[in-house]
Amino acid sequence: MSHIKINKKEFDDLVGEEVNEEVLREKASFLGAHWNHVEGPKWDVEVYPDRPDLLSVEGLARAYRGFLEVETGREQYEISAGDIEVEVDTSVESVRPYIGGAVVRNLELTERAINGLVQLQEKLHESMGRRRDKLAIGLHDLSRIEPPFTYRAVKPGKVSFRPLEHDREMQLGEILEEHEKGKEYAWILDDEEVYPIIEDRDGKVLSFPPIINNQLTEVDTGTRDIFIDVTGKDLATVKRALNILVTAIAERGGEIENVKVDGEEMPDLEPETRELEQGYFERVSGLDLEVPEVVERLEMMKLGARETMDAIEVDIPAYRNDIMHQYDLVEDVVIAHGYENVEPEMPEIDQIGEESPLENRTRLLRDVLQGTGALETHTYILSNREKLFDRMELQEEEIAEMSNALTEDYSAVRNWLLPSLMEILQRNRHRSYPQKFFEVADVVELDDSETGASNRRKLAYVHSSSDVDYNNARQILQVLERDLGVELEVRSSGADCFKDGRSADIYLGNEKIGSIGEISRSVLDSWELDTPVAGFELDVEKLVGLY
Amino acid sequence: MTVKDLEKEGYDQSMVHRAALELQENGLADYEEEEEITRVLTEKGKEVIEEGSPEHRLVKRLEPGPEKISELEDLDLDVALGKARQKGWVEIDSGEVGLTGKGEENLENDPIKRRLESENFDEELFDRGLVEEKSSRKRKVKLTGEGKSLTEEEIEEDFNVEARVKTPRTGKKHFYKEIIDYANRTWRDLGFREMDGEFIVPGLLNFDALYIPQDHPAREMQDTFFMEQPEKSSLSSYQEEVQNVKETHEDGWETGSTGWNYGWSEGEAERNVLRTHTTSASARKLAELEEEDLPAKFYTTSRVFRNETVDRHHLAEFFQSDGIVVGKNLSFRNLKGYISEFFERMGFNEFRLVPTYYPYTEMSAEVHVWDEKGEEWIALGGSGMFRPEVVEPLLGFEATVLAWGLGIPRIAMRAAELDDIRELYRNDTDILERTPAWRPENGGER
Repeated sequence: MSHIKINKKEFDDLVGEEVNEEVLREKASFLGAHWNHVEGPKWDVEVYPDRPDLLSVEGLARAYRGFLEVETGREQYEISAGDIEVEVDTSVESVRPYIGGAVVRNLELTERAINGLVQLQEKLHESMGRRRDKLAIGLHDLSRIEPPFTYRAVKPGKVSFRPLEHDREMQLGEILEEHEKGKEYAWILDDEEVYPIIEDRDGKVLSFPPIINNQLTEVDTGTRDIFIDVTGKDLATVKRALNILVTAIAERGGEIENVKVDGEEMPDLEPETRELEQGYFERVSGLDLEVPEVVERLEMMKLGARETMDAIEVDIPAYRNDIMHQYDLVEDVVIAHGYENVEPEMPEIDQIGEESPLENRTRLLRDVLQGTGALETHTYILSNREKLFDRMELQEEEIAEMSNALTEDYSAVRNWLLPSLMEILQRNRHRSYPQKFFEVADVVELDDSETGASNRRKLAYVHSSSDVDYNNARQILQVLERDLGVELEVRSSGADCFKDGRSADIYLGNEKIGSIGEISRSVLDSWELDTPVAGFELDVEKLVGLY
Repeated sequence: MTVKDLEKEGYDQSMVHRAALELQENGLADYEEEEEITRVLTEKGKEVIEEGSPEHRLVKRLEPGPEKISELEDLDLDVALGKARQKGWVEIDSGEVGLTGKGEENLENDPIKRRLESENFDEELFDRGLVEEKSSRKRKVKLTGEGKSLTEEEIEEDFNVEARVKTPRTGKKHFYKEIIDYANRTWRDLGFREMDGEFIVPGLLNFDALYIPQDHPAREMQDTFFMEQPEKSSLSSYQEEVQNVKETHEDGWETGSTGWNYGWSEGEAERNVLRTHTTSASARKLAELEEEDLPAKFYTTSRVFRNETVDRHHLAEFFQSDGIVVGKNLSFRNLKGYISEFFERMGFNEFRLVPTYYPYTEMSAEVHVWDEKGEEWIALGGSGMFRPEVVEPLLGFEATVLAWGLGIPRIAMRAAELDDIRELYRNDTDILERTPAWRPENGGER
């Protein structure tokens, strides 16, 4: 999601009428962009990644002209033929193969309009451009440079120019090492031997994409004609971004002029035509609209629409990046119709509700344990080796672990439950005793399934008080035996986190399903606990026969 | 005896006060008060104990290397930067903050936290609002001569049935799980069947099958946990789906879509992640269904994971409750019908759908409910109809899938009246005991 800042007055000017603030607060969100008032004329608009064409005040005004029915239907942009050419050298193929270009003439840009264009450029870089990797945009004052332009790749030390925000000429390699933008985006050119540049007839560098432009071509309020370059790694994305920019700037009253990039005329603003079948629309939306009503709603979304025999032909503007299927057109119609105007309707589907057997048994166990007077806890399944092994004085083993965890605290998935309850005792050590806690919840164990790991349901119980001993835990285990109607066998063991002579393994038949004991003094110390603790942990699926 | 002493013997504080006043009124006891001043941690102080002082958190954050000031705004930056510079731990160089040698030396040393922990309270801790003085009144109840001479019979006669007594400690379910139980029962009442799902899933189920392209920021961005162990899944039981998904991403396959137009990599789809949404369980269920199983409805309420910095608004894991309806003739009107029914049963009488964007649904809508108390709409869930690019590759035929879900944390916070989301997992006995048993009114309108 991107947030853009816009000026309401400017928005009104571009829409062509003053839009009521209440409309922006309430109705405007139903186009799929959310408006929040900042202060005075300043508004913050949240735009979703499927609509990069809304990332500027110009694009928003265009969309709302339709949605608020000021002017519906597809916007027409004239393109005049120009004679500027961009030659693409084969040297860019391995580093950044594609470039698109266009010219917009006779502009009168205010400071605010320029800031808006810079904002659009940056937001496109972040979203569609995947932080400039997939696409990068340059805007240039055409009067400072001499076409034709050449897009080629050169060795880092070969070329130098004065980049924006710096006072001296720098070589490309230097820019990556010293310039703020260079450092920020150097990763895109990691391991490349040559770097892309755009230069003019006289060898003046316009831009070092995707890093920085030459100061020479910076656009200001005196700029009348702009040359736009978009470079990138995916041709369709490059062209789409170019269309979004060109049409946004043209909303300012400029004249679009095409550029020949390796012989191909750009920008190409011809709409793509798709069919929307009326039957399909009715089935998916559930709405009972006549064809002219559907056409009207498509036009509110600034699409071109014509009725044909049994379908509607829809012209999709060249700046829309989100229409992949007629399903997407159905959405546009329903948005224009208003989600709030759709009558809810429950279909008849005869089916009996059903709980999974494991969840059913889990509920039973929780009821039994609640009856013993213990509090149920709700703990994280994410944990770390220190809690799962070190503090419990257990031998480390392989467990499910993440490769990119932001913090050490949550860097592994727990493979047993007792440490989670120890942590709860630690947190509550200033509260009154006795304390009794239980939880029935999942852990993850590595196994030979297709994923390599599976969820396992466990049950853990702890009791802490100054006079607690093994028997307090054993009692509760017997309550479980009684209420589940199973017989468990408890066999003495010398174990890990438990006190010597006060620990045992729990068996159901011949299978070990858990362990029980008094927590050893040194483990208590590692959880900063003074008060003794007894408890147990069981495998639920084995206990209830679901494994 | 002090009130505290009496409390230890099982007398509730308010009951003791009332009884003492009553005794005093009747001339049976004297009731004295004296002032006592103690030094205690403030909320901010407690936070420092949990997470370290702001300046030290900054130092820890910079351990891997310098960062731009603008990247550090999630920290309490004014204090952190000010104090850390004062201590000579960090330096600022052209907008970037980095550790000094002294900072490196102090990576494991947080004097503020240490002083708080050892209750070594000094002026600085007061000035920074980490510690405060609290005055409490000590009350003493002493029997008078008349009081001492009362007989058992005289006392029995005056038994006060109206006085409150101490509430016993009992076993109790966690309020968060009670909400989950309630949501699950609601799904079953509406005829839904529960579906299982694993926490660790291949990217195929979490992303690719949901038509999320492989270069989508959500995959690489920090909010997905990728697994180091087990690193990859075998996709051998999804061979047909893998082929369909690949072609759908590349050119739309038979779905009528343009596709994303790039070379899809099976290796990327094998990478295991901690699922970021329960929609991965829905994707698995769709892959299992046959044409004759339709129409059908399923639900799941389970954990999802986000690789986010945990703070008062964000958790690394939480529960989502999601349902899907799969059928041949289902529409957006039906989706709205189900949402209306489901949310009403969960305690929300008024709802609205606001257009939003999810990569895997079209007609995507946030579910907002009207909060009477705050007099505002709040977002509690998401909904939509799965795109054909999701449905057809998994099912192998055309159908419609309605999907919607509810995030549990926000409802739980309202039920327990919490303003810090981390409290949901702290299991403070006080909060567990005082939170009322859950019913829809607690989370919805009250």
